[in-house]
Amino acid sequence: MTDATTGMAGTEGSDPSVPAVQLTGITKRFGGIVACDEVDLTLYRGLVHGILGENGAGKSTLMKVLIGLVLPDEGSILIDDQPRTIHDPLAAAALGIGMVHQHFSLVDQLSVWENVALGEAGKLDSSGVRRRVAAISKQYGLEIDPDARVGTLTAGLRQRVEIIKCLRRDPHILVFDEPTSVLTPEESEQLFSTLREVVAAEGRAVVLVSHKLDEVLHATDEITIMRQGRVVDHRPTQEADARSLARAMVGREVSLRSERAAFGLADIEEAVDADPEDRPPAETVISDEPVLRIEGVSVRGRGGARLLDDISLDLRAGEIMGVAGVEGNGQRTLGDLLSSLIPLDAGRVVVNDSEVRSGAPGAMAKAGIGVIPEDRHDSGVVLDMTVAENLLMVDPHRVARHGVMDKGQTTETALRMIEEFDIGCSGPDAPLWSLSGGNQQRVVLARELAAEPDVLVAAQPTRGLDVGAIEYMTDRLRQTAADGVAVLLISSELEEILELSDRIVVMSRGRIVGELSHGNANLETLGLLMGGSEG
Amino acid sequence: MYALSVVVALAISSVIVEATGGDWWPVLKALVDGSIKAPGRWGETLGIAAPLLLVALGTVISAKAGLINIGQEGQLLMGAAFAVFFSFRIGGPGPLNVVLLLLFGALGGAVWASAAGLLRYWRGVPEVLSTLLLVFVAVQAVGYGLKWQWLLLADEASRGNRNLVSEQLTKDNRIPRPDIFGNEFPITVYVALALALAVAYVLARTVWGFRLRMLGHNPRAAQRSGVSSTTYGATALAIGGAFAGLAGAAMFAGGGFSFGNYRLVPGFSDFIGWTGLLVALMARERALPAVVAAFVFAMLRTGAGFVNSTGVESRITDVVQGLLVLALLVPPAVVFLRDRRRARAAATERV
Amino acid sequence: MLLIDFFSAVGDVLSSESTYINGALFAALLAFAATGEWVAERSGTLNISVEGMLLSGAFAGALGYHLAESVAVGLMLGGVGGLIIAVVQAEMSHRLTADQFVVGLTLNILVVGLTGFLDREIDPRADYASEVEIPILVDIPLFGQALFGEPWPFYLLYGLVPLSWWLVYRTRWGLELRAAGENPQSADVSGIDVNRRRRQSIYYAGLTSGLGGAYFLFARLATFDDSVIGGQGFIAIAAVIFGGWTLWGTMGGCVLFAGALSFQLSLQGLGYELNTELLQALPYLVTIGAMAIFARRVRPPAALAQPFIRGLK
Repeated sequence: MTDATTGMAGTEGSDPSVPAVQLTGITKRFGGIVACDEVDLTLYRGLVHGILGENGAGKSTLMKVLIGLVLPDEGSILIDDQPRTIHDPLAAAALGIGMVHQHFSLVDQLSVWENVALGEAGKLDSSGVRRRVAAISKQYGLEIDPDARVGTLTAGLRQRVEIIKCLRRDPHILVFDEPTSVLTPEESEQLFSTLREVVAAEGRAVVLVSHKLDEVLHATDEITIMRQGRVVDHRPTQEADARSLARAMVGREVSLRSERAAFGLADIEEAVDADPEDRPPAETVISDEPVLRIEGVSVRGRGGARLLDDISLDLRAGEIMGVAGVEGNGQRTLGDLLSSLIPLDAGRVVVNDSEVRSGAPGAMAKAGIGVIPEDRHDSGVVLDMTVAENLLMVDPHRVARHGVMDKGQTTETALRMIEEFDIGCSGPDAPLWSLSGGNQQRVVLARELAAEPDVLVAAQPTRGLDVGAIEYMTDRLRQTAADGVAVLLISSELEEILELSDRIVVMSRGRIVGELSHGNANLETLGLLMGGSEG
Repeated sequence: MYALSVVVALAISSVIVEATGGDWWPVLKALVDGSIKAPGRWGETLGIAAPLLLVALGTVISAKAGLINIGQEGQLLMGAAFAVFFSFRIGGPGPLNVVLLLLFGALGGAVWASAAGLLRYWRGVPEVLSTLLLVFVAVQAVGYGLKWQWLLLADEASRGNRNLVSEQLTKDNRIPRPDIFGNEFPITVYVALALALAVAYVLARTVWGFRLRMLGHNPRAAQRSGVSSTTYGATALAIGGAFAGLAGAAMFAGGGFSFGNYRLVPGFSDFIGWTGLLVALMARERALPAVVAAFVFAMLRTGAGFVNSTGVESRITDVVQGLLVLALLVPPAVVFLRDRRRARAAATERV
Repeated sequence: MLLIDFFSAVGDVLSSESTYINGALFAALLAFAATGEWVAERSGTLNISVEGMLLSGAFAGALGYHLAESVAVGLMLGGVGGLIIAVVQAEMSHRLTADQFVVGLTLNILVVGLTGFLDREIDPRADYASEVEIPILVDIPLFGQALFGEPWPFYLLYGLVPLSWWLVYRTRWGLELRAAGENPQSADVSGIDVNRRRRQSIYYAGLTSGLGGAYFLFARLATFDDSVIGGQGFIAIAAVIFGGWTLWGTMGGCVLFAGALSFQLSLQGLGYELNTELLQALPYLVTIGAMAIFARRVRPPAALAQPFIRGLK
């Protein structure tokens, strides 16, 4: 009998009818913005509690309060009927609260056991930690090598480490924050069964934070819905259905397909028999000649890892091609390649029949490829420069004479773009960091479209945006394609891909493992391909 | 907040002086006398401010590209050496010669800084370290040059009983030092001021400056937008070095007694490179504030000469300099943290 | 003829015990500083103020001896002297988020001025530390005297270096420190105060560097002068980089660079007038060359020299 298994029984003595956690009137303001407004939340042992809401609804802040990353301005926290204040994650851990993070909290360069040991207190006992890792992985069927370097693991395995790291502290309350965003449908299924086991067998309280309706409906016992920092609804899962949940979440009837897509509501039937007005405009003429040809492209990372492995794509003017896949399967590398950020090791990229030198500064942009990057802060914008400067980054010569930028013309051009794309900011001279994420994204979009590209690469274009912004973005992408631009949509949101794309390719481990036309693609076939089975 | 920081820095300096048995007020008074009030002193101060400003301007340019060049002392020395070599081994007489020797100085500094640029972009050596280490190499290289007549050493007739000294620049090859109200300073002061304006303009208004700043703030966004970090970065480093080299040449050809009296000698650079770097830091890497900062630091230097008479060791001025820079680093950091906190609040929850 | 002279000179130098003794002296100075700086760099910081820490340590060491007539007190005060600089560096750059290079450089200049000023005002007297010979081992030809017949503070290194290794690789503190150096965001989420760990690692560097400065004072100079360190701090940083951020590589760098320095000194000492400028520039050239060769091949801590501000990125 190891410590790990006895430790699991730590919750046995407590009364299941007493709430494990009771949050009352939690309010948190950031400057003038109220992220959480008098939020109440009660968690019971043995139940999976779903917290549903759009991005920015206050879910994350609420969870950060629970885990000690954020101190609430008002409100009380009762843990097992005892009032508590939680100052930091270590205090939360001491109270038996553990979180599996949305963006992994793992350090690639350390081994599995070192990561598991990270964030604990007390003497470092390597063999003890290793033993416990082994015990936990055995108990939950989460197989893992404790000495493996985390950086070499796949996303699914990394999440295992994350879960083990969390379970290792034997938490009474477990928080999963958007856990499926990096998983294949199959892996998600596996995760939910683990989750069930943890709850049912050991009487822990589990919180599942998600913006996906089907997931919450499928895996939880009760649901709390948040909107704009408030709890707008709370009910047992049995009494919930997708449509009413969606209505509660958005605050109005959900009609646009793009919104439904964003919530994971689009199912196979709907994708095929949708209203004509929601389909890509019929008059779009897709030319026969490819604008962008990617021919046998391979890219290797440090240490020879194959980031892209013999990728070939043809993209025609006026079409939207979706690149589906679980995050971390080469999509980012593809985006970087088309942003001139990295050179390729084999193959070539051809735009309008001329080969583009990869990795040469600005070459891709010059050849006519516009990019909305996956992480706009990485290569999309310069936070410390003004809105106007960000709008003119790619082509400052537009407002320059003899190498000198004309102040009046700069402002004028920027104002025009701000108006056209409805960018919310205090003016062209506002520093970019003062803008909200959605407006920063519009700056990127405005700039890339202003360059009149032949190809537009949109990588995870709606990530982190609220519903209105998502709608705007998807409409723009459709419009762009209708204007004769070839659009490459890289996304891990399958519904978004199904919704927008004329053709779909699926990436797995740096390879293209299948191509589907709009008509014969559905969640199931895509899911199978994403899981790695060749189609 | 800035004023408060300065006061705190001065207060700490005063405590140090008092603690070692000195008196602070006379020191302060001597500083002001020595730098401005006494006859002829402000001209002297301007003469020192000019090379400081030049060095700082170069630093501003490389800093805008996100590069940390801390080898100005060596680049300046190389600039002076190039200027000397040109004056005595290549050049002819006449006013044109003055211009050419200045340009040669700039070339020397640029070459030295470019060595660091080459190492950075070809071999990935961090420029912080290479520029720094090259300072010590430059000192030795110039020392070597001063041993050989075909390089920098003066012939026996003109060096008298001194070793390791270059020839003295002839009168017609010196930078003019007109006399204004009993103060004289080389006209390079005007050149430096004009260059400060030029640098500010280029960085703020031109496409080149725009792209350079982009590179400094976000190299990946810059790369994507067609700014080659190699080309722009290496150029910025070279220009930074050129400014330091120009400062060295200007010190040699216009310095008067404060800098080797128109001769190149060991220790010629006399910390002007380091101090110029501090000037840039104190000006938070902006060209126009550097003008003021250069003057303040030059004051500390010229004032130091008068401090000894108060019985307090004049190196207290070095301490004051260091403390001033440190103190001035605090307010922007505090403001930055406050702004970040606000921006974060705006960005995290309301995307 | 000249070439033969040169080679015989090299032969003399290599067979002279004093080359190794000098080498060990400089290597120890570098090792004290580099060990601490290695720890600091593993946490993701790069402190060019090591130079200032050494100098401050040397001065504080002299001051300590001046006050207490004891090398031990001098060493202790030396450690404190280094620590003071480290505290300023750490607080400015990893609490107030000022640029760490800017702070470091300013500190270096400040320390030169301050110690120079105080030196003239106080004029502390110091002395050599007594030498301790380890029996038998000291009789090893060539190396014996250099490794086992040194002033006693030298032997602190035999404890300090393994201690640093143990701290970094075998303790929780070290694990958290490495996490902070590799991925500060993840470390933060795991409940580690990244900037605190970084500050602590800088304190450690200050302590060892201060000790190193004081050691050097007692082993070689016995009087303070503001040029005693003369850029050795920068060479110590170069040694960490040269060593590819492993402790043993770092120590190798220290030995190599110290060897170059001592080689030059011995050559001069034996009366060979070679190109002194070249030889004096040699450590710097070797360092630059080594970095040019190795800089791309080794992997630095992923977050080296990147400030961490929570919520940013």
